[in-house]
Amino acid sequence: MSAVVDEVSRPQKPGFGFFARPATRSLVGGLASATAWFVAAALTAFWPDKIESDWAYTGSLAAACGALAVALALAAFASVRFTVFRRFQRLSPWLFVLALFLAAWEVVTAKLGLLPLPFFPPPQAIVEVVIDDWGRLAAGIFASARLLATGYFLGAAVGFVTGVAIGWSRLAGYWIHPVLRFIGPLPATAWLPLAFFVFPSSFSASIFLIALATGFPVTVLTWSGVAGVNSAYYDIARTLGATQRFLVLKVAIPAAMPHVFVGLFMGLGNSFAVLVVAEMLGVKAGLGWYLQWAQGWAAYANMYAALLLMAFLCSGLITLLFRLRDRLLSWQKGLVRW
Amino acid sequence: MVAAPASDDPVRGSTLTLREVRHCFDLEGQPLPVLDRISLQVGRGEFVALLGPSGCGKSTLLRLVAGLDAPTDGSLLTEGREIESPDPSRVVVFQDPTLYPWRTVWSNVALGLEARGLLRTHRGRIEDALRLVGLTGFANAYPHQLSGGMAQRAALARALVNDPKLLILDEPLGQLDSLTRITMQGELVSLWQRAGFTALLVTHDVEEALFLAGRVIVFSQRPAHIKAEIVNARPYPRHRGDPHLAELRHQVLAHLGLDATW
Ligand SMILES: Nc1ncnc2c1ncn2[C@@H]1O[C@H](COP(=O)(O)OP(=O)(O)OP(=O)(O)O)[C@@H](O)[C@H]1O
Ligand SMILES: [Mg+2]
Repeated sequence: MSAVVDEVSRPQKPGFGFFARPATRSLVGGLASATAWFVAAALTAFWPDKIESDWAYTGSLAAACGALAVALALAAFASVRFTVFRRFQRLSPWLFVLALFLAAWEVVTAKLGLLPLPFFPPPQAIVEVVIDDWGRLAAGIFASARLLATGYFLGAAVGFVTGVAIGWSRLAGYWIHPVLRFIGPLPATAWLPLAFFVFPSSFSASIFLIALATGFPVTVLTWSGVAGVNSAYYDIARTLGATQRFLVLKVAIPAAMPHVFVGLFMGLGNSFAVLVVAEMLGVKAGLGWYLQWAQGWAAYANMYAALLLMAFLCSGLITLLFRLRDRLLSWQKGLVRW
Repeated sequence: MVAAPASDDPVRGSTLTLREVRHCFDLEGQPLPVLDRISLQVGRGEFVALLGPSGCGKSTLLRLVAGLDAPTDGSLLTEGREIESPDPSRVVVFQDPTLYPWRTVWSNVALGLEARGLLRTHRGRIEDALRLVGLTGFANAYPHQLSGGMAQRAALARALVNDPKLLILDEPLGQLDSLTRITMQGELVSLWQRAGFTALLVTHDVEEALFLAGRVIVFSQRPAHIKAEIVNARPYPRHRGDPHLAELRHQVLAHLGLDATW
């Protein structure tokens, strides 16, 4: 059960007056955050920007904040009747604080100009980048995703198979283990100059580097998972007539899966780091490259926009992997929630 | 029922012969003798119980019979052939249920059939076995959702679906409450009578041994040797209050050196 549902289904303390009722709490929380967003919208719209600045999207930002405020208010009223909307109640404090943060940011940049430009652009500058430069950003996302996916899946697959082989076969362990010990701890980025020189294209070189960065933790954790399988599991399967193949596929691998997922998480983190470096230094495409390009032109708003997008994407991918794990390892007790 | 009708296979249980079996473990470089020249002859379809002090080597002996380990010395034969490796005709219910945590109860019980590629044809047996151990409602539960006794019953079902010729039981009812235990003992007897397999049961419970087995083997302290063999010829179904069983119980306890407390 996810944490959100938990919050909703937890029994409320009985008889604590008006504010203890879930409907009331949801209404008050929702209206408070709606008000905060409304204030942010009003502030943006009616407090004129600092003279001699020409932010093109001040009005759009105000409209967006206003729209969010209206949506939140509607959801708050709806939650009195429909319990579905009450799960947003958990978000109210965060939405409230975010509105305050945005308003403060808006005030110190666009309105008062307290922070130096171009290093600290106002929020509407970022809106401007996302709207005016979305083509290049989308192309960057696509390029990054393609590179990351290819490298990650390749590295994860090779790492998994290698890990199972070392964990299972003495011969594979004898030959692969020393190589792994020697080469594995080397940061994948150390291979960068060599890779760009050896591989036919910077794209293939980057795939290699990402696969390497992913593969090492996946291999080590798969291996330790397979090696650590309770030997009683094998005894049971053997007395029931299991073949070697069955022991590997139906006993060793499922038993090692919790470890494998730890490796996949570490590999994903590593792959993000290598992706950005590879894009900055070699590939000339993708969000990493966009970041560097923006910095080169002192286009800091573009940089913030790209950083924000990158954060969403990385966090989204980690969430996706957590979902996959929760689904596959639902048999485990006490999984950590993301 | 779990076992196929007896008609298609008149001889269901297998014989078991132990000849001068010795076994040593290596404990920090020192040899630790565990089994000391055990010789035993178990007939087709016989129910034999093994009793002995904790740590004397009963589980070790069962692992040798299962073919999971090789004895240091001596030989083990079934149907006149040396036991060299595990075989699905000799199924073990281990002391610790060790269900696979990633499988539901149903697929844990299905394990043996799946391993031998019989799942498609013998699916129905799983339901039967689950019903026998009283876990029908828990087919889709995961092991961490079971109590200790339920896990043990699931482990029993996992063994029974395979229709073994020799059923090796290592305190299979050890974690059950006394009521379930009595029920399961009754089930075990009737199953054994119906299916006709040979059964080798390790237990700490003298009454259980006498209620179930036709012969009770008493082991000494480690290294285990056979101290006594008590034949229990009472017909089945037996009654717990039977004075003859009480008499046998006294004998067994005497062999275990516990008769003073009786
Ligand atoms: N793998 C092993 N390595 C070393 N020593 C072992 C090993 N397995 C068992 N032993 C030792 O062998 C002896 C007998 O163990 P075993 O498990 O057969 O006892 P048991 O009779 O089944 O006891 P219990 O009734 O408590 O289950 C014990 O002293 C134990 O320490
Ligand atoms: Mg034991």
